[in-house]
Amino acid sequence: MQEFKLPDLGEGMQEAEVVEWLVKAGDTLKLDQTMLKVETDKAVVEIPSPVAGRVAEIRVQDGQVAKVGDVLIVFESTTSANGGSSTPTQSLTSGSTTMQSASMPSPISVSQTPATKQRVLAAPAVRKLAFELGVDLEKVTPSLPNGRVSIEDVRSYIEHEKDSSLPSAPSPVLVEEKETEQPVSQASTTLIRKIEHPVTPVQDERQPLKGLRKRIAEHMERSWRTIPHATAFDEVDGGALAELREALKPTAEKRGVRLTYIPLLIKLLIPLLNEFPIFNASLDEENREIIYHRSYHVGVATASPEGLLVPVLRNADHLTLMEIASNLENLIEGAKKRTLALSELSGSTFTLNNVGSFGGSTGTPIINHPEVAILAVGRLQDKAVVQQGTVIVRPMMPLALSFDHRLIDGAMAGAFLARFKELVENPQQLILDMV
Amino acid sequence: MVVGDVTTAVDVLVLGAGPGGYVAAIRAAQLGRHVTLVDSGLPGGTCLHQGCIPLKALLSASERYHQTRPEELTAMGIHVEAVAFDWASMQAWKQGVVDRLAEGVRRLIAGNHIEYVYGTGWFINAQEVRVEGEYGSLRFKFEHCIIATGADAAPFPGFPFDGKHVLTPEKALMLSELPETLSFVGDDYIALELATLFARLGVKVKLLSPGDQLMSGVDPSALRLVQAGLRKLGIQASTGVALDSIAERPVVISRSVCPRTSELHLDAVGLEVSANGGIKVNSMQQSSVSHIFAIGDCTGARALASIAMKQAKVAAEVLSGQRVQFAPLVLPLVVHTTPELATVGYTAEEASKAGYTIVTGRFPLAANGRALTLRNDNGVALLVANADDGTLLGATLVGPRAGDLIEQAVLAIEMGATLTDLSEILYAHPGLSETLLEAADGALGRAVHMLARG
Repeated sequence: MQEFKLPDLGEGMQEAEVVEWLVKAGDTLKLDQTMLKVETDKAVVEIPSPVAGRVAEIRVQDGQVAKVGDVLIVFESTTSANGGSSTPTQSLTSGSTTMQSASMPSPISVSQTPATKQRVLAAPAVRKLAFELGVDLEKVTPSLPNGRVSIEDVRSYIEHEKDSSLPSAPSPVLVEEKETEQPVSQASTTLIRKIEHPVTPVQDERQPLKGLRKRIAEHMERSWRTIPHATAFDEVDGGALAELREALKPTAEKRGVRLTYIPLLIKLLIPLLNEFPIFNASLDEENREIIYHRSYHVGVATASPEGLLVPVLRNADHLTLMEIASNLENLIEGAKKRTLALSELSGSTFTLNNVGSFGGSTGTPIINHPEVAILAVGRLQDKAVVQQGTVIVRPMMPLALSFDHRLIDGAMAGAFLARFKELVENPQQLILDMV
Repeated sequence: MVVGDVTTAVDVLVLGAGPGGYVAAIRAAQLGRHVTLVDSGLPGGTCLHQGCIPLKALLSASERYHQTRPEELTAMGIHVEAVAFDWASMQAWKQGVVDRLAEGVRRLIAGNHIEYVYGTGWFINAQEVRVEGEYGSLRFKFEHCIIATGADAAPFPGFPFDGKHVLTPEKALMLSELPETLSFVGDDYIALELATLFARLGVKVKLLSPGDQLMSGVDPSALRLVQAGLRKLGIQASTGVALDSIAERPVVISRSVCPRTSELHLDAVGLEVSANGGIKVNSMQQSSVSHIFAIGDCTGARALASIAMKQAKVAAEVLSGQRVQFAPLVLPLVVHTTPELATVGYTAEEASKAGYTIVTGRFPLAANGRALTLRNDNGVALLVANADDGTLLGATLVGPRAGDLIEQAVLAIEMGATLTDLSEILYAHPGLSETLLEAADGALGRAVHMLARG
């Protein structure tokens, strides 16, 4: 028997979620065969089999979170990576990840029903949770040998129920019930009769918040809760920008790069962030200090099939327009495939959100914590604009700038937007400061 | 319809501001609901104004007095010339305690921005309640309603309550003068406590119990200690008394209570009620009409504030969208006699009847250091556990502070703790709770401060 524990995946990750097992108990694996996908904070990592052999048991199921060092899978191994025999203790190394195996303890027998026939041993908090989730405690397999059901047992029971695709959790809304009963009405101090769970005729579907969705939710919640958001709106004439793009596009294409508006906008943002350093900053909430960032790492909000990701264009101020465009193309591609490294997904100092690419005309963006501002640009659309008393048609681009009102006031945000407009409408100004 | 009748739309309407109603109101307010609380009197209900609190206040005053008698104190080297009490001042002190608690509740209600309406409410239909009060008649349309109207002493055939010869327990606590003799009919904790109170103050007391035991559901050996305590106070206690033979007057009747629901016009809503008028509810405190809830005594539940207060929280949470239920496994019961008695869960007999193979532990207070230093060593700790896995099934404590100590056993049973769990933890020494340790060790066959029997 050999155990495989969740290795340290680097970047200080303490836990990972098992996304999908590609093998099951009884399968025979080849050495280095991909057996499992786990998801850390940002990336999905494939883990190869450290041995050749048969799978005895999978310990952490799909959707569950494992900590570094938790046993994920147990092998009836035949050949290990170092070609040794199947001695119970040996250290396996594969690539950059360290794996350990230890002698497996005899499995806890959980199939036996606990001795108490009248009662499932569970603390009041566990019983409360079970009721909330609509779990019959008698059906839960206790994880402890004395038959005590824990909170985790109830949760993992729910997970298993989910896997067998039966929507089991009841809706939390009030339910009409015909059956009535009075639990403590009898005149005795004896154990109160077991209370039957009320019938729930209407059942909403419930899905656990997990994976990327969970992390997006946590991130958004943190940002929304800690940062007092304010949003300034404006519209900019994108005619000059469109002309510039049209002029540069064929040349870029010849060099194999598709030039979109985003690289141009990033290029225009850099001098702006330089002029308004408070927008390229963050608030150290613990020490109550403002950190002005000296590097310009621009995050670009990107839709992936599983949800929002923000790949980061590092040191954007040192890149040419062509470099920005081609790096961005790779980043966005990587985000969609979920192959980006953590360093490519964190550390941005300002975020640009191209709402237009998501289909909407504009929106109020939520700041990418711990940054202090985020700029959303909408789709270029022909609109009727009044210029010198006449209505003319211009390609207009909506702007929405959300800012952390603790550090930035409306006037400052207005000035920032005005300057950005000036740059977008006169992109040739870039040449003035070009080295 | 009354002329000029205006309907006020409210969110959560709570009828009755006793320990059930005001707790429900506060919990719902905590959960962001706008609450209107209706009661014809001050918040606190029977428990605070006529029941538990006045009774416990007078019990403790009478106990203090009783403990200052020379025969109690000289043994400890204290000599007192004369100790006297006057009933009126005792009543005034009791009222001070009640007033202080009532003011506290009033502030909690105000602090939670709960609208308090003085008046009596009844249902017009399943959405509306009329409240008849000092300032006229009001009509409320509610989203959710919690009925917490409590209970009254049930009328007792042949013994009409007249406030003079036949009294309710509440009335007995408000007597302006102490009678020479007073008899009590009942086999519950109220009868036992009232008898104790008046006997301590020199009233000649008779306790007439219709049951075959002074109190049902209590371990007989524990009850014997209480019975001996009553006898020591000069109480004439008899069991198996035929009710029609009772000629003693004045007499206090502490029998069943009757849910206070007859004035609510429940038929206008179509709420299901049981034979005694109790509103039928499920374990989420919902009545047969799902947006109307009922809690505490008015459901016909055992008339105890502990139950009402827990059910109150359940109801408030359920109507705020949470999925919770009232499902404690056991109910602690306390009797403030001398000695004090507290019990929870199964007695040995009940556990055996329920099909458990049991093991029991017993430790007398006379072997407990703390009890001796308190000069109060009349008592015992009894534990009942499941022999299969050692989990605690029941506990009975007799002795000082039994009512406070019992909660350790309540927690143990609810947590599914075993005798070994009780035996492994530390107990402050010398302490009364060590009796639980010794009883647990005794059940495990390893009590140190007691010689094994046989």
